[in-house]
Amino acid sequence: MKSSLRPRRGAFGSFGGRFAPELLTPALEELETARREIVPTKAFRDELDREARAWVGRPTPLTSAPRFSARAGLETVFKREDLLHGGAHKANNVLGQALLARHMGKSRLIAETGAGQHGTATAMIAARFGMQAVIYMGEKDMERQAPNVKRMELCGAEVIPVTAGARTLKDAINEALRDWTASLSTTHYLLGTAAGPHPFPRLVRDFQAVIGREAKRQWRREFGGLPDVVVACVGGGSNAIGIFHAFVPEQSVRLVGVEPGGAGLDSGRHGATLVRGTPGLLHGARTMILQDDEGQILEPHSISAGLDYPGVGPEHAHLQETGRASYVAATDEEALAAFEVLSATEGIVPAFEPSHALAFVLRARESGELPAGSRVLLNLCGRGDKDLETYFALGRSS
Amino acid sequence: MSLAALRASLRRGPAVSPFLMLGDPTPDLSVELARTAVEAGAGMLEIGFPYSDPAADGPAIQAATGRALAGGTSTQRGFELLRRIAESCSGIPLNLLVYGNLVHRIGYDRFADTVTQAGASTLLAPDIPLEEAAPLRRACRRAGLGHVELAGPLTPGPRLQRLARGSSFVYLAGFQGVTGVRHGGFAAVLRRVTEVAESADVPVCLGFGISSRDQIVRAFGAGARIAVVGSHLARAVGTLYGAPADAERLVAGYRSAVLRLTSNR
Repeated sequence: MKSSLRPRRGAFGSFGGRFAPELLTPALEELETARREIVPTKAFRDELDREARAWVGRPTPLTSAPRFSARAGLETVFKREDLLHGGAHKANNVLGQALLARHMGKSRLIAETGAGQHGTATAMIAARFGMQAVIYMGEKDMERQAPNVKRMELCGAEVIPVTAGARTLKDAINEALRDWTASLSTTHYLLGTAAGPHPFPRLVRDFQAVIGREAKRQWRREFGGLPDVVVACVGGGSNAIGIFHAFVPEQSVRLVGVEPGGAGLDSGRHGATLVRGTPGLLHGARTMILQDDEGQILEPHSISAGLDYPGVGPEHAHLQETGRASYVAATDEEALAAFEVLSATEGIVPAFEPSHALAFVLRARESGELPAGSRVLLNLCGRGDKDLETYFALGRSS
Repeated sequence: MSLAALRASLRRGPAVSPFLMLGDPTPDLSVELARTAVEAGAGMLEIGFPYSDPAADGPAIQAATGRALAGGTSTQRGFELLRRIAESCSGIPLNLLVYGNLVHRIGYDRFADTVTQAGASTLLAPDIPLEEAAPLRRACRRAGLGHVELAGPLTPGPRLQRLARGSSFVYLAGFQGVTGVRHGGFAAVLRRVTEVAESADVPVCLGFGISSRDQIVRAFGAGARIAVVGSHLARAVGTLYGAPADAERLVAGYRSAVLRLTSNR
């Protein structure tokens, strides 16, 4: 069964592929051609590097965290993607795709957004490149993330509320796909994560892979050798695939992705698609998804809007199936505690998303999930300013 | 059996094919509407299975999906309704529109077997394009179910011929966009119908954005053998039905809406 379902285009083992309507085929073919022919050229790479330094703020440092490490009982080093322009790793991807769109002669960018981070990053790059930006955002998310809506509008983007379905991220992706079907001659769909139909998972991974490449070089120089474990949070999975990619061939390095466990895996209110999902077709790929017995997509739950997605990038499903990476979950409660610990021990306020990865490291030695003495590289993929309002509204006393 | 119904129907002449969503606006009424459509001259029916994430559909069919899901129709219930429709509309070919994940979840073979036994003639999964269609095609063939491929305004000639090969018919989307949306004039659509009809050696079905008898007559004139009316009728269902008390009004209104599409009066 598995082999017969192996996708034909852009497969990662039995996952990935291009499960998108025929009407999108011309756009996906055009993008694939551009990915193969434009991205590898010296002119494109030079421009990308220049903008990555000057506008995005690359390279980002590795930061040792002695006080956090003492709490965890594991030596932990952070890759500081929280220091990028916009406050998250999202800038790597929007820069690459917007540059590619410009080379393809597209003047309009569309994007989906859940928490508003990818929408904001898209609005920012569109402003810089003088392109039109239209951001689809679930009506429910617009209420939850009002400041980000204003930020996008300030950068000149049009934010369109999505009222269909559950009015959240998955519905915003559906709406962006619908727009693109009708507008493909002028428009590039700037998908925010390493999911979707081929070639998006590879395109996004390749623009995010700079995280792992840089970190590997920096680790060798600063600490010697390789880390024992690389940890990242996984929603759609772009920051995780970005830091994993350079380490996949290094068999001594364990790769651990941390999914949102929400209110607990047994509560049914979570977003742990790899830990608890089943294979299915969503948003153009065969991947692990949250669905009921009849194939209807379930609404995920997480304190972190950026991880609140019922699917996951197909390459992660493949890494899990082959055993090259393992995936675990951290609950809302664990993530909030880790958010507090990092703020208090290192003076870094992390986003709720990487707080899930931090939570795993904090518990891993005691739970036996990681052996004592492991040296951990953790992708600190975003800063927490955007989450402060939500955090204070919870009324926790740390 | 049911593929034979398709061939027989097409021999009789071009068919108007209303689209209806299983379970919309209620499970029983969707069966009633199917029967009504056939009584009003539909030569074929296009039957949708409600899916939570219909990314190829515009607002009218999304709304129909929402009504069906809210009324408790998902895949298993859909099989039952399909069986009832096939019983009450015997001899009428039923083409299923099913998003890939619903088929994938049940298993391609089991899904194809179940709907064939229920009385379906053909199946189109709008989000399983040519490159990924081989396992589904195999499952359909094994079950004796026809498989239908979607083509668009921009699908190039050689690809069109590959699509048509092994397809029971080619479902041509007249406009580049989601269902129910129209960009540009109908003349270009008609030229495209003729082009596709001439290059494909299987019947051409025109869908997306058709809402009048005039368009249907012109589509048949251009070489289409089937014309699907979807969003227009889904919108009518939404307008006519708000509560159980509206059932009679819905059936009567739906009957006249279909009659306006099937007859020249």
